[in-house]
Amino acid sequence: MNSQAPSRPPLSTADGIKMVRLLGTVSFVCGLLIVITHRGTLSAIGRNQERLTREAVAELLPGMQRQVVYSVHGGELSKGEGSDRLAGKIYAGYDASGKLLGLVMEASERGYADMIKAMYAYSPSKRCITGFKVLEMKETPGLGDKIATDKNFLENFKQLVYDPDHPIVAVKAGAKKNNWEIDAISGATISSRAVGRMLNRSIREMAPLIERNLRRIEKGE
Amino acid sequence: MTGAHLVQAPSPSENYETFFNGLWKQNPVFVQVLGMCPTLAVTNSVRNALAMGAATLFVLVCSNMLISLVRKRVPKQVRIATYILIIATFVTIVDYLIKALSIAVYKALGPFIALIVVNCMILGRAEAFASRNPPGKAILDGLGMGLGFSFALLCLGAVREVLGAGTFLGVPLFGPRFQPWVLFLLPPGGFLTLALWLLVFRAWQSRKERKQEQWRAAA
Repeated sequence: MNSQAPSRPPLSTADGIKMVRLLGTVSFVCGLLIVITHRGTLSAIGRNQERLTREAVAELLPGMQRQVVYSVHGGELSKGEGSDRLAGKIYAGYDASGKLLGLVMEASERGYADMIKAMYAYSPSKRCITGFKVLEMKETPGLGDKIATDKNFLENFKQLVYDPDHPIVAVKAGAKKNNWEIDAISGATISSRAVGRMLNRSIREMAPLIERNLRRIEKGE
Repeated sequence: MTGAHLVQAPSPSENYETFFNGLWKQNPVFVQVLGMCPTLAVTNSVRNALAMGAATLFVLVCSNMLISLVRKRVPKQVRIATYILIIATFVTIVDYLIKALSIAVYKALGPFIALIVVNCMILGRAEAFASRNPPGKAILDGLGMGLGFSFALLCLGAVREVLGAGTFLGVPLFGPRFQPWVLFLLPPGGFLTLALWLLVFRAWQSRKERKQEQWRAAA
């Protein structure tokens, strides 16, 4: 700032106090405004987040009537959201008769640009992934972002088998031979491979845990 | 702007001029070429452009008002610090408000909401206008500049979304056989569209100036 020109007389203590007082008052008022807005919008923001997840789960498990949330803590499953917001979550969906339709889990992986966050549905009885939905990404428009919309690509996830002996992997477009492989989108190989990696890592971690607790989950306990 | 503090009650025509100055004559994007970072970054769809325009408008009007209210009490040495504090407060507020209204819009705008703090247009208006004028005029100036900025963003967003995705506000325009011109959604498309609009604006302005000169010469 050129307001501190050398020809200017030095600041007196009174001036200094005046400045501190002004900045203090302005900071106080600004802080108050921020706190009021934060408190006022907190519940609406929470509701929005919740609705977004609920809609995604309902889309992945068509016909779902009831939903139970489990949180994963140190390799153990507990019912409810839990206090740890970073803990992994499993959303179990049941139909009208109370039968378990499937489980929805979150997964994320580094894509071509920034993290790709997604949700996928897993059927423990069929031992396969039955649905996939991208929640958040910054992939290149027209190329990588097709992982969320490309019909042929999403067809891969209607019945993608989880086999402990074979990792889920994205292969070159049209080269899919086994039902644990994903046909990549041509021109979006990096993004497709990221999807393969994210599902493989997540399911390998979650499937044993689900199998151990399947009885509990089926009863919704 | 000069000598505004000497005028007790600004006349309606003066208010009109303050408002339209930002909207058209001194448009922040097309004439002053300010705030280029959000202009290029978030105008890949009409929805994003509108949301960014509205957020900037809110911050501009509120900060202009508050800065104008405290203008006589702020010592010269700490004025920039005070202005930034006030601007940052309203940016934080708008950040919470957008998150409460729509998470989809919040995610689409990403870090650019927080970056409104460093939009030089806002600090520029604080320093050049709000700190020298009464609150009423400062609000009008904020409204004019904010709407002018929103209008410019909308111009860019409309061209980029229609050409780059074949949609307007998410509604498909051309049917399934249209091959979108994806380049327009990518950063180069932002620069190209901005250049196009600047060209249109400048051509229109110089034509107007030529006409005025001819008129003056004839008189």
